[in-house]
Amino acid sequence: MTIAGFIVRNALRNKRRFLLSVSSVAMSLFLLVTLQVALRELTNPINDEGSTLRIIVRNKVSLAQPLPARQLPTIERIPGVAAITPFSYYGGLYKGDEKFTSFAQFAVDPARALDLLSDARVPPEQMQAWIADRTSAIVGKMTADRYGLKVGDRMPFTGQIYPCDLEFKIAGIYQGTADDRNVMFHQKYLDEALGDPGTVGTWWVKASSVEEAPLVTERINKAFANTSAEVRAETERAFQLGFVSMWANIKILIGGISMVVVFALLLVTVSTMSMAIRERFRELAVLKALGFRRRELFAFILAESFGLATLGAFFGAGGAWLLYRTLDMPKLTGGMFVVFEVTPQMLALAFTIAAVLGLLSAVAPMIGVARTSVVQGLKTLD
Amino acid sequence: MALPLRYSFRNVLIRWRSTFATVLGIALVVFVFVLLQSLAAGIEKSSGNTGDSRNIMIVRKGSTAESASLISRENLREIQYFEEIARNERNEPLISADVLVLVSLPRIDGSGEANVLLRGISARGVELRPQVQLVAGRWFTPGKREIVVSSRMAKRFANFSLGQSFKAGTASLTVVGWLDGGGSAFDSECWMDADECRSLFERDLYSSFLARPVDEAAGAKLLARIEADRRFKLKAEKEVAYYQKQTMTAAPIKWLGGFLAIMMSVGAVFAAMNTMYASIGARTREIGTLRVLGFRRRSVVAALLIEGALLALIGGVAGCAIAYLWNGYTTATMGFETFSEIVFEFTVTPRLMGEGLIFAVIVGLMGSFLPSVRASRLPVINALKSV
Repeated sequence: MTIAGFIVRNALRNKRRFLLSVSSVAMSLFLLVTLQVALRELTNPINDEGSTLRIIVRNKVSLAQPLPARQLPTIERIPGVAAITPFSYYGGLYKGDEKFTSFAQFAVDPARALDLLSDARVPPEQMQAWIADRTSAIVGKMTADRYGLKVGDRMPFTGQIYPCDLEFKIAGIYQGTADDRNVMFHQKYLDEALGDPGTVGTWWVKASSVEEAPLVTERINKAFANTSAEVRAETERAFQLGFVSMWANIKILIGGISMVVVFALLLVTVSTMSMAIRERFRELAVLKALGFRRRELFAFILAESFGLATLGAFFGAGGAWLLYRTLDMPKLTGGMFVVFEVTPQMLALAFTIAAVLGLLSAVAPMIGVARTSVVQGLKTLD
Repeated sequence: MALPLRYSFRNVLIRWRSTFATVLGIALVVFVFVLLQSLAAGIEKSSGNTGDSRNIMIVRKGSTAESASLISRENLREIQYFEEIARNERNEPLISADVLVLVSLPRIDGSGEANVLLRGISARGVELRPQVQLVAGRWFTPGKREIVVSSRMAKRFANFSLGQSFKAGTASLTVVGWLDGGGSAFDSECWMDADECRSLFERDLYSSFLARPVDEAAGAKLLARIEADRRFKLKAEKEVAYYQKQTMTAAPIKWLGGFLAIMMSVGAVFAAMNTMYASIGARTREIGTLRVLGFRRRSVVAALLIEGALLALIGGVAGCAIAYLWNGYTTATMGFETFSEIVFEFTVTPRLMGEGLIFAVIVGLMGSFLPSVRASRLPVINALKSV
């Protein structure tokens, strides 16, 4: 029998215990990975090429405060601005949704939005149809699939933020952006319904290059300083990170719970390992008597606990990876999470924790073995 | 014949070293469960605690949140003279036309900005909300750019101390007082004069009206009258009923709490099974002896199940105790209805602790069921022979 074979046999001698230990480690690591994914979704917004170029201009007071439509020509003239469109969050409740609609609807200027939506793929004839008809809208593929919508269908909404109900005709379906859920429609249509108040929600600006982007934001902020509607211009990424700050203590809470899970995991593995070693003190004493040296015994113990923990990580973290790849998470969570992705970093974290776990849980039994003399060990009853 | 309870109980105590990890594991599961549910309970308590049962709130038809509602001044002019609305000793109608504005303000710890709900109230606004008390400074002077902030928000946002001022819109507001909402949703608000607020943020319209009817019957009449009048596109409901519905933020937290508890408890069941198998394995001879003495199989199973349940119960009590340390601790997150920071307390209720304990016992029973069945099935002779 080889040494490796000896270790494997030893680990598997109580199959039930081995299975239970591996499962509980796997379960905990699965949970840990799930929490990490959720935390990342909440705190680390989607980052794509366009989001470093896109700048969002909102009222300095807050996002809920509108901006005057007259700002458009001023921003357009600012050097480094490649494109601009109004971008107003309509916040309607889609027909049939009780209290909460999981996708957003934005009022834009379609002709101008083309440049800003460069990563959205829409058939050109659909794009033309959208621009031509001011009651029409384009819909993200995820939303279209979820509600079984196709070109030509109508989408009625009840206004929750604006005091007007709108109905759009679907002119096209887009895909390829970081979040293919939104509905985009004509700002003019919204203005008409509201009696032309001369305001927009925010401006969406595209900088001519990544290097220009910070300069452009600064210029926009300056252009409206000391006016009746001061603005806050920031890159889309910074804007999204602003939302993260609003989650406040919830972030810390999820982080804390992850720690608790890891700790619980440690307890389980440590206790199992010491259980496994305690019941074979006599054997280890025999091995010692046969001439195996202490560090060889340590290696046996270490290999076993290490193997157990890594196997748990393999099933737990690997299982999470596989599960979230196969499951349709946006659908399952009602659109709360768009991308539920297990990153390589998370897998690495899970395996690192498993490795540390394996080491730590071998320590206590090793001390026990080191302290026990051969005679004492041979005398031990279970 | 059943084994005495004492057998199970003493077993738990004697083998405490080997069962310690299991107990702690279960304690952590219960802790996470109770803690998360206490957050949701805190949000629900704060919204359930808000409002005066006599008051009626009027918002735009179709708006789900007060902050998204718009009502004109013309509506105010008409409604305030309704005979259903009570008057104070100076014969002024008890109605407040409020305007709600979200203002993005920096946090005190410099970790970014968050939306704060600013409420502009009319002269009767304070009188209509007796649960809101001034705890420091004074109320704002109508017509001045002064603001009274919630004392709990003052700990979270920069420049909220008395005498300090912060910029909002085109002007700056001076903090003249601190209010305390008595654990209600008003603890997440800042109050100022409604008309100053409207001019500062260029609002032609009010957000909501809050009115006090003469009596219960007049209240019902007022609700019906506003609903029936076609000129107003308004919705009237009891103030308490409106706030009671503001618990959308609690739903995902509850869901998360349940999800985590179930997932973690699966792990805990595995661990408990491990411990019980080992503990039973170590006393095979003892169990054999019990059988020889005439104890039935089901008595042995029952005793071991009780042992597992007791073990889990100890864990559950410990978990509840750790979670209880957080009780009353103030925390905050973004409210889904208002889109602003809401402040609330961890609220560990007896009901939650009860649920946590039941949860623990179920984990214990599930963890010890298979091991105890196995123990009872051991052939007596073999059991006695084992070392």
